[in-house]
Amino acid sequence: MKLAIRELLRRPGRFAVAGSALTLIVVLLLLLGGLLDGLYLGSTGLLRAQQSDLVVYSEDARESIIRSRIDVDVRAAIDGTDGVAATYGLGTALLGARVPGETDLADTAVVGYEGAIAGVPEPPAPGQAWADRRLEAAGVGVGDVLELGPEALTLEVIGWVDDVSFLQQGALMVEPGTWREILASARPDATLPEGTFQVVGVDVAEGSDPDAVADAIAAATGGTTVALTVDESVLALPGVDAQNSTFTQIIGITLLVAGLITALFFAFVTIERTAQYGVLKAIGASSAQIYVGLVVQAVAVTAGAVVLGGLISVALASQIPPDIPLQLEPPRALFVAVGMFVTAVIGGSISLRRVVRIDPASAIG
Amino acid sequence: MTLALREIRRAKLRFGLLAGAVGLLVFLIMFQQTLLGTLLGYFTGALENQSGQVVVYGEDARRNIEGSVLTPDQVAAVAGVDGVAESGPLGQGTFTVRADGELTDAVLWGHTLGGPGSPTTLSSGRLPEADFEAVASSIDAGSGFGIGDTVSLAGDAVEITIVGLARDARFSVLPAMFVSYATYEAAVLAVNPDAPFVPATAALANPVDGVSPAELAERITAAVPGVDALDRATAVAELPGVSAVSQSFNLILLLAFVVVTLVIGFFFLIITVQKADAVTLLKAVGADTSTLVRSLLVQVALVTVAGIVIGGGLLQVASLGSSEEFPIEADPALVAGTGAIIIVLAALASIGSIRRVVRLDATAVVSRPSMGGIS
Repeated sequence: MKLAIRELLRRPGRFAVAGSALTLIVVLLLLLGGLLDGLYLGSTGLLRAQQSDLVVYSEDARESIIRSRIDVDVRAAIDGTDGVAATYGLGTALLGARVPGETDLADTAVVGYEGAIAGVPEPPAPGQAWADRRLEAAGVGVGDVLELGPEALTLEVIGWVDDVSFLQQGALMVEPGTWREILASARPDATLPEGTFQVVGVDVAEGSDPDAVADAIAAATGGTTVALTVDESVLALPGVDAQNSTFTQIIGITLLVAGLITALFFAFVTIERTAQYGVLKAIGASSAQIYVGLVVQAVAVTAGAVVLGGLISVALASQIPPDIPLQLEPPRALFVAVGMFVTAVIGGSISLRRVVRIDPASAIG
Repeated sequence: MTLALREIRRAKLRFGLLAGAVGLLVFLIMFQQTLLGTLLGYFTGALENQSGQVVVYGEDARRNIEGSVLTPDQVAAVAGVDGVAESGPLGQGTFTVRADGELTDAVLWGHTLGGPGSPTTLSSGRLPEADFEAVASSIDAGSGFGIGDTVSLAGDAVEITIVGLARDARFSVLPAMFVSYATYEAAVLAVNPDAPFVPATAALANPVDGVSPAELAERITAAVPGVDALDRATAVAELPGVSAVSQSFNLILLLAFVVVTLVIGFFFLIITVQKADAVTLLKAVGADTSTLVRSLLVQVALVTVAGIVIGGGLLQVASLGSSEEFPIEADPALVAGTGAIIIVLAALASIGSIRRVVRLDATAVVSRPSMGGIS
């Protein structure tokens, strides 16, 4: 083991090729993971923040919030269903907002809500909004008066809230009347009457089974609604499920590639040093000692790659424009580091067979 | 050359495995490129293959068709811009429809019949001539969007009959139906009777002779307040998701190319180190270094070409086995282009092995104790 570390310290250049390749892979893994996290968190914040147990959509919306519509009579039927403790209307409108002093429009989701959203205070007064902190990157500040839609309706930002973005748009949380007014102005074809929301959050009464309540709501509304749990509604957002599975597969393949490169490199190292290993065995070193040395070197090279790759990723992330949804999260970095170490150990272990088969007699020619 | 071929003949398994590994990686690269092309086509097809050469969005939409709205005044103003030969409103939206008895999502593409916005890749049937007729994306013909099928929405409030099919005409990875603008308006009002009116999503325009689409787009943006006009190619490239998908796939492709290079490089390095004694002996008995390097390069080339052939063959197999809904095409130009890049990368990857061969010292053969030398 000491020998392996000494070799690393005295001849670091020998490991540069594998180290560079692994560093590149760490950067790729972190950026891919960062993109996945950014896409997921940026799309789902509003739904993840729901404190309700269920989200009710109109059946013909096919679980799309934007196409869903819960009218007053349907809401009343939901309210009257056994097991429903409380309901909260919710609606969204995606549009650009003009920010004072900025030339570019900010991508926003105006969200009309009645409560029960984690980290968001009670709905503000008409014409005011709690703003998602991600809008700071677009130049929005507390006290700003934003102009929205073709009629330039105004919204005053009165404070920040965190992690409530929707479909990559920073949320402006407003009371329902303000939302309906903005929706009708920006999308006349999507105008909704007083009391109508796109979806309704449902608190299930204590002791009631959410699945049973969901079925009861569907029955009470004559099959015109579908109730999903919050987790199900997150995955029902367009692209979220596909994004998760695609990126997870890509990350898995990239880790396999890391293992392949480690295996090839240390197979090469083992073959190159067959003679030296023969000498070591001849003077009493065991196959296990040599193998452990190889694995230590694989782990050390990987550790260097993880540190260097992490620093490069952070530097790159700081230069990436804010409209690219890249979010480097500590749990993701930990996952990448653990994944890389596991693949390094497995990759390094591929040489075990070669090490065991080295004949000490080869030391004498 | 003879040396290289003889070695391959005597170690068929070893070189065969490498050619197989390279072949799999080449297949992965080409398959991803094909997948990317198909997927992007599904995202953008209807916009790319319609007759409007200039797309005019509402300024607030930030070039996102889903967020765009134009007032009737803006649509009328576009028609009056100098250089516009013809123009008209476009209504685009995603609707829950019933096709073949099943609820599904579909995109309506409402345009002025005979004006800009008509499908340009009609493969069978005819263009719509009246309201409530549609040309659908041909790939979805088997899912209730075939000629003669009726697609309904908002219960049965709106029924649309398919009269034609167009190639590469999906939009946002959904079935698309090219209908009259009035049909689109009827669909919106059926779904939301509370809508006071139905605004156009965008406007489409074609330039007069002598004016390019890009030039006309600039003129429209300058002349009509609150709009952002783009030529069709730019509008396609700016669609949400297109650049993100392209960038993600390109990143993966880059990684795959790096891996191919590393695999070839490491493999030949290992082989060179393994046979260092034999190569040293060859040098000692008079073999020229350039001959030995040539032999190495011949092996690299043969393995790489074999890998490309295997990869191309696998792509052909994949194309034969692909579904109608997601066809994979084995494009010879793609195989040739990718193959050329792989050959260049393989040549670069063999530099390490070449250096090893060049640096082997012929005198080492007599300094080995087992040959009576003093090390």
